[in-house]
Amino acid sequence: MRALRWSFGGVFLVAVPWIVAAVAPGQQRYILHVLIFTALYGALALSYDLVVGHVGSLSLAHPAFFGIGAYTAALLGTEARWPFAAALPAGIAAAGLMALAVGVPMFRLTEHSFAMGTLGFALVTQIVATNWVEFTRGPLCVTGIPKPELGPLRIVTLPAFYWMGLTAVGLVGLLYHGLTTARLGRAFHAVRDNEMLASAASIHPLKYRMLAFVIGGAVAGGVGTLFASYVGVLCPTELAVSLSVNLLVMLFLGGVGSLRGVVVGAVAFTALPEILRMAPTWRMVIYGLLLLLIVIRAPDGLEGVIRRRSAAWRQPSGG
Amino acid sequence: MALFETRGLTKRFLGVTAVDAVDLRIEAGELVSLIGPNGSGKTTLFNCVTGYLASDAGRVFFHDRDVTGVPAHRIARLGVGRTFQLVSVFPRLSALENLLTFLQQHQEEGVLARLVRAPRVRRYEAVAVERAMMLLDSVGLAARAAAPAGSLSYGQRKLLAFAAALMPDPELVLLDEPAAAVNPTMINQMKEQIRALHRRGKTVLLVEHNMDVVMDISQRVIVLDHGQKIAEGSPAAVRRDPKVIEAYFGR
Repeated sequence: MRALRWSFGGVFLVAVPWIVAAVAPGQQRYILHVLIFTALYGALALSYDLVVGHVGSLSLAHPAFFGIGAYTAALLGTEARWPFAAALPAGIAAAGLMALAVGVPMFRLTEHSFAMGTLGFALVTQIVATNWVEFTRGPLCVTGIPKPELGPLRIVTLPAFYWMGLTAVGLVGLLYHGLTTARLGRAFHAVRDNEMLASAASIHPLKYRMLAFVIGGAVAGGVGTLFASYVGVLCPTELAVSLSVNLLVMLFLGGVGSLRGVVVGAVAFTALPEILRMAPTWRMVIYGLLLLLIVIRAPDGLEGVIRRRSAAWRQPSGG
Repeated sequence: MALFETRGLTKRFLGVTAVDAVDLRIEAGELVSLIGPNGSGKTTLFNCVTGYLASDAGRVFFHDRDVTGVPAHRIARLGVGRTFQLVSVFPRLSALENLLTFLQQHQEEGVLARLVRAPRVRRYEAVAVERAMMLLDSVGLAARAAAPAGSLSYGQRKLLAFAAALMPDPELVLLDEPAAAVNPTMINQMKEQIRALHRRGKTVLLVEHNMDVVMDISQRVIVLDHGQKIAEGSPAAVRRDPKVIEAYFGR
């Protein structure tokens, strides 16, 4: 039953480009574009939740790792003519190594200072991307980033990019699931919930914080690479600190620390407003209010609402 | 040589000497209580020897190995289990998961093996669940295995924390006030648990204020006052010691 539902869901998601073509042929390009962004945002939000939701460290450095991955791959692709199959791992590795280098000193800071320290790092990274004009082209942006090519597979069309995004969010979801459940998940959660007790359980808090931070950073770099190759242009504004805010909204809207919650949050934040054609000027206002409402009324996000609903469904007598 | 030893252990907080040149020797298989009035430095001493606080002077030995300054998670891995004065469990995890959390690191499996759930990791997980259920059963919590630890009563959480500390099968168990703020039935249960642990050959050092418990189960009692060791001996001898009476009741 469960497997059946999953395979139906999978088939549906894969078939989306054809469904869109059949249902709304005039708006196919626009809808697919929104869905590609949704998938990339979903993957990015999952990587962010590894740090925020599972080891409980409020990092604001995520835009920097996203940007370092994107710039590494974009510059290698344009200046050095590296093929995508080499530029993608390079983007992932560059972001992961940067997280490794930055993480050790950052985690000496606790709670608020950690948030401030990572915020500082994100700001510095954006300033470097803006002002190191000879290297990053600054506000002129990196242009003409080649489309992904993996052997005979060339990703050029919108449906192809959609499937690429879907694959990305699927793989990140699998990684997320593997890391946050069973033995590894328990170690992460132990560190998040009670560091002293975690040490008594011979869990090294810094090791697991770093593990989440570096994997989260590396995945963000990978998503950055895909983003740059899809859009074809990379500007320093993509590294803005506001990206952290967007990601936080997705996490809290959907449900911190939950795979389904974060994905629901990413869809609710990215796809729905576009599809509903919400006025862009009012969007952030509406989101601000929505976020307040969620934090007050449902602190565990939409995931909590879904869980309570399905529990009520299963036990109608109780509800 | 002793299983566990401190030599001249000293800890100062802003000029106050909380632990003052304390020498302890605990032989393998002993059941020893550390007592003293409030603020005499018992918990500070616990925190120094388990790697939670850096001591200012002196050395700590476990199995003849100098473990002074070794971080808490590594002390735990060497075979020293401990509980905390205020009940310490992971409230969002179930009782069973609380215990499993305490065992997994001893497996020393690589991150990748755990990520892909290698067959040996799965096999070990099954063994771990079996051991955890046995321990839960021994403290009378088997029926609550799936309940979130936060939903248990205070006394049950203390028993859970105790069982969790035993999960990795430590040689030395340090218990910080296991009987504090627990109802009389639960105190008896806790006493039985500590005795049973001792009978299984484990070495136990406990900090406790409840004198009935201390006098009833300890083989040896060490008394701290103002950070200094003022007496040491059998429960009966310590009870008669004028220095101890003075420390507790004043002149």
